[in-house]
Amino acid sequence: MILSLLAAAIQSGTPVLYATLGEIFTERSGILNLGVEGMMMVGALAGFLAAKATGSPALGFLAGGLCGALIAGIHAGVCLVFLGNQVVSGLAVTILGVNLANYLGTPYVGQRAPGFDPFPLPLLSKLPFFGPVFFNHDILVYISFCIPVLMWVFFRYTRWGLGVRAVGENPEAVSAAGLPVAGYRWAGVLVGGFFSGLGGAYLSLAYTHLWSKGLSAGRGWIAVALVIFAFWRPGRAVLGAYLFGGVMAFQLRLQAMGTNLPSSLLLMLPYGLTVLVLVASSFKKHGTEAPAILGINLEPPD
Amino acid sequence: MGLILCFWVAVGAAKDLQVGFIYVSPTGDAGWSYSHDLGRQAVEKLDDVKTSFVEAVPEGPDSERVMLNMARKNYDVIFATSYGYMDPMLKVAKQFPKIVFMHCSGYKQAKNMGNYFGRIYQARYLAGMVAGAMTKSNTLGYVAAFPIPEVIRGINAYALGAQAVNPDVQVRVVWTKTWYDPATEKEAAKSLLDVGADVIAQHQDSPSPQEAAAEKGVYSVGYHSDMSSFAPKAHLTAPVWNWSPYYVKIIEQVRNGTWKSGSVWPGLEDGIVDLAPFGPMVPKAVQEKVLAKKEAIKAGKFKVFSGPIKDQKGTLKVAAGASMPDKDIFGMTWFVQGVIGTTQ
Amino acid sequence: MFPFEVKRRQVPLRWGTCLIFMAVIFLSLGVGAILLAFQGKPPVRGILLLFKGAFGSRWALEDCLVKAIPIFLCSLGVALAFRLQIWNIGAEGQFALGTVGATFMALSFPDLPKALLLPAMLAGAMIAGGLWGFIPAFLKILLRTNEIIVTLMLNYIGILILDYLVYGPWKDPVSFGFPMTKEFSPGAVIGMIGGTRINWGILLCLLFAVLIWVFFRYSRLGYELKAGGENPRAARYAGMPFNGLVILVMVAGGALAACAGFIEVSANLNRLQPSIMVGYGYTAIVVAWLARLSPFYIGIAAYLLSGLRVGVENIQLDLQVPAAFGGILEGLILLMVLAAGFFTQYRIRIRSAT
Repeated sequence: MILSLLAAAIQSGTPVLYATLGEIFTERSGILNLGVEGMMMVGALAGFLAAKATGSPALGFLAGGLCGALIAGIHAGVCLVFLGNQVVSGLAVTILGVNLANYLGTPYVGQRAPGFDPFPLPLLSKLPFFGPVFFNHDILVYISFCIPVLMWVFFRYTRWGLGVRAVGENPEAVSAAGLPVAGYRWAGVLVGGFFSGLGGAYLSLAYTHLWSKGLSAGRGWIAVALVIFAFWRPGRAVLGAYLFGGVMAFQLRLQAMGTNLPSSLLLMLPYGLTVLVLVASSFKKHGTEAPAILGINLEPPD
Repeated sequence: MGLILCFWVAVGAAKDLQVGFIYVSPTGDAGWSYSHDLGRQAVEKLDDVKTSFVEAVPEGPDSERVMLNMARKNYDVIFATSYGYMDPMLKVAKQFPKIVFMHCSGYKQAKNMGNYFGRIYQARYLAGMVAGAMTKSNTLGYVAAFPIPEVIRGINAYALGAQAVNPDVQVRVVWTKTWYDPATEKEAAKSLLDVGADVIAQHQDSPSPQEAAAEKGVYSVGYHSDMSSFAPKAHLTAPVWNWSPYYVKIIEQVRNGTWKSGSVWPGLEDGIVDLAPFGPMVPKAVQEKVLAKKEAIKAGKFKVFSGPIKDQKGTLKVAAGASMPDKDIFGMTWFVQGVIGTTQ
Repeated sequence: MFPFEVKRRQVPLRWGTCLIFMAVIFLSLGVGAILLAFQGKPPVRGILLLFKGAFGSRWALEDCLVKAIPIFLCSLGVALAFRLQIWNIGAEGQFALGTVGATFMALSFPDLPKALLLPAMLAGAMIAGGLWGFIPAFLKILLRTNEIIVTLMLNYIGILILDYLVYGPWKDPVSFGFPMTKEFSPGAVIGMIGGTRINWGILLCLLFAVLIWVFFRYSRLGYELKAGGENPRAARYAGMPFNGLVILVMVAGGALAACAGFIEVSANLNRLQPSIMVGYGYTAIVVAWLARLSPFYIGIAAYLLSGLRVGVENIQLDLQVPAAFGGILEGLILLMVLAAGFFTQYRIRIRSAT
């Protein structure tokens, strides 16, 4: 029973993980992009439609990411070119993305698309505890295991990763070094949007094989919160995403087991947990600062 | 002069009947609104009838405005397909006495406003019989949306049907608090599978609980429409709506001038509810038993909520030999014995 | 790099707000028309239907006003916080708590006369909403917790609280088990003005609008708020009570959204049920930004955006356009306002060869 709960936590947390990792990337470059929910919904629809049209879930997944990046590009344009307020722009992108996905997706509600099915890894899925929990999922989950590691390596050891981080902490230094500040920032937003789109596509291609109006159900916002919980580090994001996925899966299992608690109260658990998690994060002092220029637009040089 | 008058009358008589529909959710959901929309499409096919609809209208003042809009555009018949539209519809009906208003699932009436609903619980009972016969673990899972009477009623009928063929059966209920959210519904189904359910039924509008059951290799019961295309190996049957004949009937009545207000609650005998075709895995013997029961219900010989019925606590709610009056069925807020879950 | 350079203006472009308004609305409708065409619907007729549905008749104008009332109040509250650069996304949840507070009073004291019960409901709503605004403010000043996330999560939790009450303790015994409270007694209902469908809640709108205008123009705290928003660090050095201001704007914002909830539940619905939540809190954000946080323009923008909502119902009816169309336009409008703000703050010049 516990094993299946843990496995469900991982599956349920995977879309949030993709989105959280994407948002970490964006925020590390100094941009706050609150449009994750919108990007996820658009990614979900795009992935669904692409998979339906081409018959290939993999292409669908990719398409989801690309469309997420496209929507993120709107945010980048408004904030980086037109110096719009990043908070409000992110909200606008959410409103636009969610409604655009609903509008264009209306004819497709209730239809199926080819998707990803669980694919137990040959030897690993037979391991006593880790097998059923970690290695009995679809391939997108396995990919999501690798991404935090790759991201960590990227930020720590590659020149581009250092550039992205630097641009989020001290853009003057980066510009003085002759590196393209705007380029890094654009990359930050677009890559983040790509991953958020992937997270959305996961929902419509793997978690279910359907498209619906409220598919992401607030997961994008949870991702934004988890970025803070993760202290902008990919490793901790994994913990947060699975914790959150676990709570969502848990309250349903509690009902199945036969509880007398009203379901409205149980449904509050994920959101309440997010608040608690945020509050707890505020206590840790050292090494948890947000990137220095997060949310601040760079004035054009005089 | 007389010629012009004749022309005028002729034009008036040939005027299309304008029929409006208000849905509480999008029509593409393969669920509640979808089944009503199928009915609307049947009406659209009639001669001299034009239909239109507004979907995803929140209950309350928004719905009142939509109905007023239709009324001011001189629609002739307006159908509202959710309980929460009742009070707004009554307000509008009073202002436009020449328009026929039909409200689904409510009870308030006026001279030009009637109610209608369907006894889908009869089909649920039959589906329960199938599930009870097919289960091996004696645990039936039920993914339900909101704890409102029609859902509770459906669960109870399902449980009673299952218990009729298999007295040890239990029904476990998980509330998703949404009509259409495939991700949550699938997770809810999985959590029921985890506690040992081997038939998953649903009062939801998306087919994802069927998907979950199929993935685990167990059975499922659909809803609203035949969901077997989503889970061919798992789908046993489904209670389905069939509003088309009823809607066509209402339109004919309005056209003939024979329409009268009232409260109707037809069931299997009128074809407004039905059972989807059985999946290939259901044994002939079970099919025959269920079909026999269906005939009995249609003929009025058997009533689903006939005693003895006890609630979850063991209190006798309906005595042996008696049958629950419609009023109590309509406002059911408790579970029968054998159902595990809260009604909140 | 680019052939032109961007310089900040010394003085923002005059008539900026008006120009932006019109350009933005025009452009958004244009994109909307393209989207309609994309779905195979007649674009021009669609946009015309939108206008006709929103402003084409006396009833429509009234309906827009009725809908604008809650949007206006929520937006006033949101704008207060935004001035201080406190991002209050929680208007939706504060609205929900407002309905809960008002309903609590209505159900507890149904026999009180209108003159007593209505103010009690208003008070109940504003206390509940104020509390809901206080929580994120408190967490922010104490622990520097990000108010965007907290207010957002409280939205979901607030709506679930409403659900819980309406499915459970407050469920109407005579409504056959459907999730709604008892119908309110006559004393709990805000009446309509004359024969129109506009309720007296509009007076509250005017009252609060005036109060806020006076607050910003004539009070010291109002001045500090404006200054604190523009430059928090300098404000703190100057000894302004920044923390106190945070609490003030969040509690006031919560109370205002709650007041909107009170008016909706009392005048338009006459009972509490989950379908009262239609997203006013989020539209309020678009309105506040479109109006550049000024109460006067908030009034106009609220009316326009409520017109959008009403008009969209008309397109739905006649052209079967999906309901999300209105939301797309809202998102577009907001994005364009943001982009257009650029042109009032900065000027573009061709880079002279030097």
